[in-house]
Amino acid sequence: MFDIDYDDEGKIVCTGRLDAAQCEKGQAFMDEITESSTLDFVQLDYISSAGLGILLKTQKRLAESGAALRIINVNNHIYDVFHYSGFHAIFDIKAK
Amino acid sequence: MKRAFARSNDSLTAIYEFAEEILAAGNVTDAARFAIHLALEELFVNMVKYNPDAKGDIDIEVTVEDKVTVTLTEYGVPEFDVTVPKEVDIDATLEERTPGGLGVYLIQNLTDSLDYEYGDGRSRVIFTKESGI
Repeated sequence: MFDIDYDDEGKIVCTGRLDAAQCEKGQAFMDEITESSTLDFVQLDYISSAGLGILLKTQKRLAESGAALRIINVNNHIYDVFHYSGFHAIFDIKAK
Repeated sequence: MKRAFARSNDSLTAIYEFAEEILAAGNVTDAARFAIHLALEELFVNMVKYNPDAKGDIDIEVTVEDKVTVTLTEYGVPEFDVTVPKEVDIDATLEERTPGGLGVYLIQNLTDSLDYEYGDGRSRVIFTKESGI
């Protein structure tokens, strides 16, 4: 199960497991983002390289207009994956 | 325990549930489980992606002893050795980074051992992970 939606404060809340079977849903949502945004991963349990690809693609697109994604409340397992992938250098990431 | 899964990313939830049941019963730690699920997904997705013409299911076996051993086997496919070292420049700038290529890199970094066997169209990947880390 994976879900992605805005909360009342305008943050984008991701829930569940973002695996390769869910990346179309994630990509479709992210393609609509046109300004700097905060992704709240407080309820995201898991991400694989398919999800990392969506984040990277979106960050690259937003950077062209000077915008960026910020990712907060990242669990320690996903944080490790971000670190392995070098994402700490290209995203503003805050652990849980 | 071994089970066959249809060659589609739609199998990922069933694969997760299959592996999770075995890992939970074996008291494998959260950190090791996360790494095992990730490596398993990346390997399965690679098989689906790079062998689109293959017809048969992909067999997955997960065992928990002093360590966790996961084996993925597919048939009627060309050779693709996932143990060949994959380098990703993780210090690259955002402009230089390209989506993709991270899957095999993560598999190689998250597993304790990674082996590949090929013969007569049978392709098999075996990885292990310490269960207590």
